Amino acid sequence: METEIVEKIDSGSAARDDRRIGLSDHAFFLLILLVLLVAVVVVLVLSMGMGASKIGVREVLGSLLDWHRSGGTNSVILFEIRLPRVLASALVGAALSVAGLLFQGLFRNPMADPYVIGSSGGAALGAGIGLFFLPRFSFLGFGATAAMGFVGSVATIALVYWLARIGGRVSVVTLLLAGFAVSTMLSYSTYFLVVLDDNFGLRTRVLASWLTGVIAVPRWSQLAVTGVMIGCGLICCFPLARRLNTLALGDDYARQVGVHVEKTHVAIILTGSLITAAAVSLGGVISFVGLIVPHMARLVLGPDHVRLLPVAAIAGAIFLVLADTLARTAMAPSEIPVGLLTAFIGGPFFLYLLRRTRREYAL
Amino acid sequence: MTPLLQFVDVSFFYEQRAVLENVSFCVEQGECAALIGPNGIGKTTLLRLAAGVLACSVGSVSLAGRRLETLPRAEAAQFVALVPQRFEVPFDFTVQQIVEQGRTPYLGFFAGLTRQDRRAVERALELANVTSLRNRIFNELSGGERQRVKIALGLAQEPRLLLLDEPTQNLDLGRQLELLDCLRALKDEGVTILAAMHDLQLIPGTFSSVLLLEPDQEVRKGRPQDILRADVLERAFDCPPRRHPKLVDKLVGENPALLEKTP
Repeated sequence: METEIVEKIDSGSAARDDRRIGLSDHAFFLLILLVLLVAVVVVLVLSMGMGASKIGVREVLGSLLDWHRSGGTNSVILFEIRLPRVLASALVGAALSVAGLLFQGLFRNPMADPYVIGSSGGAALGAGIGLFFLPRFSFLGFGATAAMGFVGSVATIALVYWLARIGGRVSVVTLLLAGFAVSTMLSYSTYFLVVLDDNFGLRTRVLASWLTGVIAVPRWSQLAVTGVMIGCGLICCFPLARRLNTLALGDDYARQVGVHVEKTHVAIILTGSLITAAAVSLGGVISFVGLIVPHMARLVLGPDHVRLLPVAAIAGAIFLVLADTLARTAMAPSEIPVGLLTAFIGGPFFLYLLRRTRREYAL
Repeated sequence: MTPLLQFVDVSFFYEQRAVLENVSFCVEQGECAALIGPNGIGKTTLLRLAAGVLACSVGSVSLAGRRLETLPRAEAAQFVALVPQRFEVPFDFTVQQIVEQGRTPYLGFFAGLTRQDRRAVERALELANVTSLRNRIFNELSGGERQRVKIALGLAQEPRLLLLDEPTQNLDLGRQLELLDCLRALKDEGVTILAAMHDLQLIPGTFSSVLLLEPDQEVRKGRPQDILRADVLERAFDCPPRRHPKLVDKLVGENPALLEKTP
C-alpha cells in the first residue's frame, strides 16, 4: 500500500513536471512572460494592419519605426485611427484583467469580476446622465458619456464601501451584497432615463452600445490620461499581489502575520476600482475579460498573484486587441460591439468553469 | 525570569457579552502547555488574544514582558505564531507556496523572499516533516498532512511561541500520534508551545503543563497529573453525576507509565 501511495505521489509530481515542460516554476513563469511579451507586440502590429483598408506588416513596422517622417493616407489611418484604438484595447484589456485578478483575490473567489462591487451600475447611470443631460460636456478629450461613466463608477464604489463599513470594519460579504444591491438600483435607474427618452432615438442607441462595450477611436489626450491612471494602478498592484497571497489564507491569518487587513482591502478596492473606471471611460462596460483572463492565467501558472499579475495584464491586452480586431473586421464596414464578442466567448467559458469546479467556493 | 506569555486580568467582550473574564496566567520559555476547558469557554479566543488577532477589552497580554498592543504587528508576528483550527484555501496553492506566507512578517512592502527566508521555509518544512509534500496542492492533502503543513506555516514565522488550536481535531489515531511526535520534536528544538486540546488522553507524555479554563473560576495551571484528575475534570466539564467518565482514573489505571513519562 505504501508503494502505491509513493507511486501516486510520484505520478502527481510527474504530471506537474510535464505541465511545466521540465522547467522549474520560476523558469516556466519567465518563459510564459517572454512568449506573451512577444505575442503582444505581434498582435499589436498585425491588428494595426487589419481593417477596411489593409496595410502590410512591413508598412506598419516601417511607419512605426519612422513615425516622425511618415505621411500619406496609410500613415493617417495608422496614427490617427488604428494605433490609438489598438492601444486603447490593450489598455482596457490589461486594466480589466488586473482588476478582475484583484477582486478575485480579495473575495477569495475565482468567479469575481471587475464590476463585482457595483462599478458597472454606477458607470451606466453616469454615462446615461452625461449622454442625456450634458451632451456638450468635454474634458481632456473625454465626452460626457466617458467622463460621467468614470465619475459614476468611482462614486458608486465610494458609496458601496461606505455602506459596507460597519464599526470601522468592512466585511467582504457585506461589500459584495451592498455592491450588488446598489449596482442593480443604478442599472434600473439608467433604464428609467431610456424610458424618458421619448422617441428611443440615437441617444438610447449610443447608450445601449456603450453599455455593451465598444472601443471607439480615442484622442491621444484620452489615451494619455487613462494610460497614466492604469499604469499607476498596475504599479500599485505589485506590492498588493504578495498581500493577496497572504489574504488568500484568510483575513484572520493575514492579520496574525502582521498584514494591516483593512488598509490592504482599501488599497485593493481603490486600485481595482480606479483602473476599472479608467477602462470603462475608454471602452464602456466590457464584460467577461476580467473574469476569464485571470482564470486562464491561474490554470496555466497556479494561484501565485505575484506571477499572475504581469501575465494577466499582458494576456488581457492580447485578448481584447484580438477581440476588438475581430469586432471591427468581421462584418466590415459595420462593427460589432466588442462586448458582444467577449460575452459570446466569455459566457460559455464561465459556464464551463462553473461545471468544472469540483468544489464549492466559500467566501 | 520574565514569562514568555503573560495574561493579567484579561477580559474580552464581544457585542457586550463576556467571552473571557479576568483571565490571568503565564507560560514560561520552553514550556509545552495544553489548554483545556469545556466547549465555548473561550480557548480559541484566548489563543487569538495571545496572537494579537484580537485585542483584549480589559487587562494586558505581554510577550516577554512587552505589552502586545505596543508591539508593531510584524514584530509581534515574528514572536508568536497561531496555527488556526480551520483553514480554508480558495485556490490551488502548493504546500511550499502556503508555507512561504509564514515569512510575511519579515518582508518589506515591496520585497520578495530572501535567501534567509527560503532557509527558514526549508527548516519549517523539515521540522514539520512535510518536505516531501512541498509540490503537492494543499487542498488535495489528507487531514493529517494538512495539519502538519499548518504547523510548518506557523514555524516559518520562526516564532518563540507557537499557538495551536486543537491540532489533533479530525485526525485518526495514527495521525494524532504522528502530530504529537511532531510537537515533541519541536519542544526539543526549544519552541515554546501552547495548544488548545480537546482530547485529554493525548496530553500526558507530550505536554509539560496544563492550563484549565473553567466557568467562573480562575485559570488553573499545573502538571498534567495535577490537573487531569477525575474530581478536577468532573467539576470543570460539568460531568453529569454517576455518568462521569473517570477519565484520568481510567487512563492512569490502564497506562500508569503515561504519567511517569510526563516531564
